[in-house]
Amino acid sequence: MQVNNLTKKYGELKAVDAISFDVAPGEIFALIGPNGAGKSTTLKMLSTILRPTSGTASIYGMDIEKNPEKVRKLISYLPEEAGAYKNLSGREYLEFMAGLYAENSNDAKQYLEFAENITELKGRLKDKVKSYSKGMARKLLLARTVMTKPKLAILDEPTSGLDVVNALEIRTTVRHLAKEGMTVLLSSHNMLEIEFLSDRVGIIYGGKLLQIGTANELKKKYNAKNLEEVFINIIK
Amino acid sequence: MKKFFILLKKEMKELLTPQMLAPLLIVILVFVFIGKVVGKEQAKMISSNNIAVLDQDNSTESAQVMDIFKQQKFNITQYQNKTPDEAVTLAKNENQKALIVIPAGFGSGVQNLEPQKLQVYTIMKNFSLSGIRISAPIQTALALVNESFSNDILAKKVTDANLAELKNPVASADTVVVGDHEANVSPAAISGFISSQTTFIPIVLFLVIVFASQLIVTSIATEKENKTLETLLSVPVSRNAIVSAKLIGAGLIALLTSAVYLFGMRYYVNGITGGAMTGGADTAIKSAAAQLGLVLSTTDYILLGISLFLGILVALSIALILGAFAEDVKSAQGIISPLMIMILVPYFLTMFLDISTLSPLLKWIVYIIPFSHPFLAAPNLMLGNIMPLIYGIVYMLAIFIIFVVLASKIFAHDRILTMRLSFKKKK
Repeated sequence: MQVNNLTKKYGELKAVDAISFDVAPGEIFALIGPNGAGKSTTLKMLSTILRPTSGTASIYGMDIEKNPEKVRKLISYLPEEAGAYKNLSGREYLEFMAGLYAENSNDAKQYLEFAENITELKGRLKDKVKSYSKGMARKLLLARTVMTKPKLAILDEPTSGLDVVNALEIRTTVRHLAKEGMTVLLSSHNMLEIEFLSDRVGIIYGGKLLQIGTANELKKKYNAKNLEEVFINIIK
Repeated sequence: MKKFFILLKKEMKELLTPQMLAPLLIVILVFVFIGKVVGKEQAKMISSNNIAVLDQDNSTESAQVMDIFKQQKFNITQYQNKTPDEAVTLAKNENQKALIVIPAGFGSGVQNLEPQKLQVYTIMKNFSLSGIRISAPIQTALALVNESFSNDILAKKVTDANLAELKNPVASADTVVVGDHEANVSPAAISGFISSQTTFIPIVLFLVIVFASQLIVTSIATEKENKTLETLLSVPVSRNAIVSAKLIGAGLIALLTSAVYLFGMRYYVNGITGGAMTGGADTAIKSAAAQLGLVLSTTDYILLGISLFLGILVALSIALILGAFAEDVKSAQGIISPLMIMILVPYFLTMFLDISTLSPLLKWIVYIIPFSHPFLAAPNLMLGNIMPLIYGIVYMLAIFIIFVVLASKIFAHDRILTMRLSFKKKK
């Protein structure tokens, strides 16, 4: 993925201000920053659901503005605090989403099996989504996001609002999928968890990308114990 | 196409929830219940016209009055040797619906051509239509009493004339003219027949359009609120398929709802009118209506169906665009109000006014509102005005296409996520 001077304006407000970065295949790249920093807007542009005001981005050589439909075949996006259709059961939801990606019933079956294994919801998959706890729903949605084994998974705050156990399970799954070759672009305002999860991080604040590097590089550069201290030192 | 059907299936599953079906079921049950209860009560009331008669005259004429009432299916309880006040109290206690006092000297007064008065006390226990319905049959019976006495008196005084001709020297014959057709029938009977055939159409259309529009706006608002729309927009499915699935899903539910409402209302009206409003019309009136070309043919029904369905589709396409402005389910209800006004205006105008007699400006305003055309479709077909109906269909089709294209463009753009109505002042 290559991002060059990507900008998004809402009227006079510059939500994302000319950010540039790249992500290598199989890498976990995290955008970190406080709420309102521009993380979600960046991910939405890269997911082709928001149009950039200026700048370019390409995913596996496909321009997100010129070829959004081709890009959508390569990516899978998990919005922040997303829900599923509450009147469908967990399995019906996965079947529905698998059907939208699959070229044939064999593919759909494979996607479904893979997703069922990741969710670990087992018998609860037959229950309506509205009966799920937040952790269960998030696992279902993460499974939906990665079930097609997309080349790039875009995860917006994947562990936001989850308890320690569920957050750890999701981080483990993401790490495992990346090892198998999936590229992951994620965002989080929880800088400590990102330190353990991502290969490289980009620190975003006020719509601007202020620093990029590995957690160790950044800690060394700013003489900090963790990424939170790095962030504080950068914005000072 | 396969993905469209997957989306359509999801829309149907999301829309056909117990929360949506329960009110529909309740509507049927309420209609059926009210129809049955009212029908039963009315039948009971007709069979139980209980009245009391205080006969202070005890003459042949007073007996004749009571005979006429009995022939009119009144159950008469006769009171003797009471004052009118005592009789009223007794009638109230006995749950009589009315008391008729025949005064002393009634018979001889009638014979001597002196005007006589029958005092009728109607005992009202409530003010519903059923509570005061005894009054009409009493008036009918009293008219027959007058007819009977006047015939007797005339028969004694005039022996060389036909009584019927003497009493009605001027007769009238009604002929109704519709276009090139004529039929010997009263205009009131024809008007009643036509309204019985078309009365449900505007009501059901109104309910269905309102319901379907709410359905689609709420569906988009829910997707936005739950962020399922963001997920949907990021998957490799054409935006047109997403728009079409929403439109057709809500359209199918609207058809189901209209069938339910239609069934429920027919049952309800059948119950309260004993079938007179829904096909129980007199054969003579039916054949007169057919003679006037006022009975819809199969082609007419197809044209009517197309007009009604296009009306629903236009509402859905506008609702799709309005839904794009909704931020959440709460705001969705308010957003639909412009559409409600667009439906209410022609609904009331076509119900109470003759559009053809409006001023040209008002007439054009009515015709510009797309929903006027399905409301006007049935009367136009009855009167053989095919061209206005066809223009209406073409106009609605054009409006539908324009709004669907517009909706597809909104869904294809990120405006679907960023559009919202803001009434805040810009800083």
